[in-house]
This record gives sequence, C-alpha cells and structure tokens, in this order.
Amino acid sequence: MLDYQTQRQIELFLFEEARLLDDGDFQGWLKLYEPQGIYWMPSQPGQTDPLNVASIIYEDHGILSIRVQRLLEERALVLTPMPRTTHLVSNIVARTAEDGGFAVEAAFVCVVHQDVKQKLYSGRHAYELVRNGDTFRIKLKRVSLMNCDGVHTPMAIPL
Amino acid sequence: MTDHQAIELPTAEDIRSLVRPDHVHRRAYADPSVFQLEQDKIFGKLWIYVAHESQLKKPGDFVRTRLAEHEVLVTRGEDGKINVLKNRCPHRGARLCMADKGTSRLFSCPYHAWVFRPDGSLSSVPHKKSYPESFDLADPRNHMQRIEKIEIYRGFVFATLNENPEPLLKHLGEMTEVIDNLVDRAPDGEIEMADSVFSLEYRGNWKLHMENAADIFHPSFVHSSSVMPARRAPANASIIDQDQTREMLMANGFGFDEWEGIQLNGTPSGHTYMKNFYNRGVLSPEQQDPVVVRYRAALVARLGEEKAAHVLGMNRFNNIIYPNLIINAQYQQMRVATPLAVDRTLVRIFCFRLKGAPDEMFHRAVRFQTTLGSPASMIFSDDVEMLERCQQGLSKEEGPWVDFSRGLDSDRRAESGAVSGAASEMPMRVQFQAWVNYLTAEAA
Repeated sequence: MLDYQTQRQIELFLFEEARLLDDGDFQGWLKLYEPQGIYWMPSQPGQTDPLNVASIIYEDHGILSIRVQRLLEERALVLTPMPRTTHLVSNIVARTAEDGGFAVEAAFVCVVHQDVKQKLYSGRHAYELVRNGDTFRIKLKRVSLMNCDGVHTPMAIPL
Repeated sequence: MTDHQAIELPTAEDIRSLVRPDHVHRRAYADPSVFQLEQDKIFGKLWIYVAHESQLKKPGDFVRTRLAEHEVLVTRGEDGKINVLKNRCPHRGARLCMADKGTSRLFSCPYHAWVFRPDGSLSSVPHKKSYPESFDLADPRNHMQRIEKIEIYRGFVFATLNENPEPLLKHLGEMTEVIDNLVDRAPDGEIEMADSVFSLEYRGNWKLHMENAADIFHPSFVHSSSVMPARRAPANASIIDQDQTREMLMANGFGFDEWEGIQLNGTPSGHTYMKNFYNRGVLSPEQQDPVVVRYRAALVARLGEEKAAHVLGMNRFNNIIYPNLIINAQYQQMRVATPLAVDRTLVRIFCFRLKGAPDEMFHRAVRFQTTLGSPASMIFSDDVEMLERCQQGLSKEEGPWVDFSRGLDSDRRAESGAVSGAASEMPMRVQFQAWVNYLTAEAA
C-alpha cells in the first residue's frame, strides 16, 4: 500500500483529469499523457490483445491528438450541440509498479448529456502512471467499459 | 415488433407511387406499413447473409443472429450440416439461447427442460410419461422451427424464408467476384472471421445506411472534422499503426478530381459498388512495405504471379450486396445492417483473417475495423449523426420528396448495369428501382 500522501496525489490527479474532460479542455487533457502514452478501450471483457482483437479505441498520443483536434473542430457533427459530461472517478487504489511508476485502478461513471439525450457509461479504469515533478503523466489508460461488447451508439467524448 | 395483422400493407400501386426516377417519397423511410412490407418481401424473400462457416467449425458451434423479424440460431449439426433455427422453444414459445455465439451439443429450454439437438430436433423431455401417448419426439411440430432454404457460397452462409427462391448464385450475380476476391486473397485459400465485432444501433431506417455506403459525395462534408486535423497532424506521429489511421481519415477529404476518378456501378438486383478509394499509405494497392512483400510472396507461391496480380489488383470499395451486406475484400471487412424497426437499425461490423498471411496483415484489418467501424470511430460517428438527422426530418409530413437526381443526365449503361461518376446518386436510384421490384413482385 502506498503512503497516504502519494495515494492522495494520485486521486487528485485523476480528479483533475475528470475535470478537464468535463470542462471540455481536451488539449489540457491530452497534456496529461506521456509523449508515447496510450488510451485503450477494449471491445471485449478481459481483452489483453490490442492487435488481434479490435478495440473501441486504441490510440497513442499521435492519434489522440487528431481526436482532440476533432473535438475542438466546429464541424464535428456528432458534437453539435456539444455534449456536457460528468465524469465520476471513485474506488481509487494505487500501488507501486515494477517500473517505478504507479498502477492505479478505479471505478468510473460518466453521464453524457446532449440535446434531448442522456447516456450513462460505467466501468473500470486501469492506469499506468509515471512521476512528473510533483504530478504524474499517463503511460497507459485502459478503460474497461462495463458493456464494451454490447450494442452501442456513437461515442465522442473520452471516458 | 409490430403485430403482423395490425397493419394494412401498402399495395403494389402504393409502392410504385413512392418512387420516381429521381425522387423517393419519405414514406419509404418512415411508414411502419412500408417497413412491414419490406420485412415480408425483402428480408423475408431474398437471400440474407446469416453467418460465416469459420464461426461454425465443429458440431455444436452456433451463432445467434436475425433473419427478417426472427431471431435465429445458425448451428453446425452432429452430421456436419449447417442449420438455421428460430430461437424459440416450440413448447411455450420461450427464447431458448441467450448467447451470441458458443458451442453446445444440446440446447435446453430452462422452463420445462425440453432439450434440442443442434439440428433443432427434440432430444428429450423430462417425465415423458406425463405427455399424451400421441406426443412424439420425432414430430417436427415439437422441434425448433427450421429455415429450410440455406445456401453457402465459399463459406458465406445465406438463408431465406422464401420457399421458392431463385438460386443464391443468381441473386449474387457479379457480386460473387468480391466474395471470391476476399477468399482468394488468403495464401492458404481460407479466411476466418475475427472474434471481435462491433454492434452499433442508430435511430434511422436501414436504407439510409445502405445509401450512405454507396454515397461518395458526402465524405468531404460530413467528415471534414476528422479530415482537417489529420491533414494538419505530422506524418508518422503515431508509433502504433504506421500512420494507417491518419491516412484513412485523410482519404475522406477529396474534391473534384476524386469525384471524377471514382467509378460507381449498380446492377438490376440492387447491388452497387465503387472502384478505388484508399490509395495512400499502408492500405494502398501499390504498397511495398516488408509486410506486403512477404504477403505477396505467400500469395504468389499459391496462385502464381499472374493470378496473384489479378487478385490483388481488384480494388472495389463498399461492395453492397442487396439488401444489407457490405464487403470490402481488400481490407478484409464486412458489415451487416439489420432493420429492427422503421426507425431503428443495428449495424454489425466484422473483419476477417487471411489464413497464411503475415500477422501484421490481420493487425491492419483490425485497425481498419476500429478506425471505420468502432462506436468511437472519428468517421462512422459523424455518418450516424447524419442518418439520424435524416430520419428526424423524414418522420415529419412536410416536404415529402427526397431528391436523388444528381447525375441523372450523365449515367451510362454498361453490360452489367449502370455506371456513373462518383458525384452521381445513381446507386440510390439503382437501390430504389430494385426495392420497387422486390416489393411489388407477385408471390412465386
């Protein structure tokens, strides 16, 4: 178990990530990632292979930056009107990883409100974080959506 | 699902009045009685893709899917034959199987424990002596209902509720070429469906998706929010996909030259396809990177130089097999659009592994599937938004006619059907002509 202060710093880092997404500050959100950081949302429960099994999202910084630009682009049709979100992160448990970074698990709920529609997502996050001064950077964020293999409607805002 | 008897179905005359050479009435998309007629006369009469044989390798393997308004199980029987069975216990009508795929030598109804074999026959009932003497396990009325008409073309399993269908090969016509091409691309001569499939539901009529897949005019507008950032992004910034995603996003940004350069084709059966689409990066047909070089060598070893060049040279995009199957052979992709209601459609997105090809080829196909077909796709999500907006507009009485006139003056006739430039709405006119023909056909 981590010392209280580090655990608390990691919790605050995750809350800050959620706030950036809720504020629509997607460029700020992208800055939380390592230059080679990866965002991964599998399509199968327990999926371990991002190459032979299609993922809902499997993107590194280079592709994520295109995704972020698209979120900010005024003509992204699926984003008119711009959805409003509430990202909740909880049950955060962090431990030291073998590479000296941190392995963090959390539960999440996200409510997406757009026009007359409201959608609810939930699942678990698994992070690999590295120290960056007095804060952290994301090496890997794995979003295990509870209904990842279910029937979906388009998703636009990262969870 | 609407009750069958509750709706008065449109007459042939009604249907003909909905389609003009260059316009279609909004009722084609929004009228539940038209939808019911489609279920009867298109999804209930034509050959409908239900499964791929690679999903059914051994006896007991099954997949669950839909055929017209029925949920069906496609199974491999003990005798090795493929069966299509309504997913319903003949005893009290309960849905039997609650999994999308799996292996089961017996299908047991949890209610009163009637147990069925993978061919739908009744294996046993508990406490048989309490059933009347006339009750016969071998009586087909006590079996899962079978869809009798099944045909398989090179591993693609089609079924139809039509008791007197034309041969599958006749319906597929020249579209067999794209299935051939997909299978022939495998150095071992076999393809295998990948485990991962995306399922996406949108609030719109099924035809909107089929039209959109044949519409090469919209991408510049609908997808500009992904084209522009992809163009501005530096090349090879990604470390995971050799720039495939960025190239695919950029491919939607085209103008006059591409509209002139892409040829559209349509056949009288309602099938359509286009030539040339992704022509850059790792997906380009001229690609010579080490993965493709190894793959070509494997294919040449099997087929010889000339045949391999012919197979790899076929570059047809969005091959739409009427009514609801879309195949992209060169990217190992397949889509099926299943109507759920007049304004609800389920789209399932699959991809295939070419047996004998380098693993990296499959990784690229998986990447393609995610980039174009994921619910979080930067491309498809904007398409879906437009399909839903069309449905919203078409559900209202005002302005009843949809315009499909673009290209009407410049379409040409070829031996196999209609040919046009990419700026034409010819594919939609072809689809709707076939639609009228199917909906107004006399019962065989």
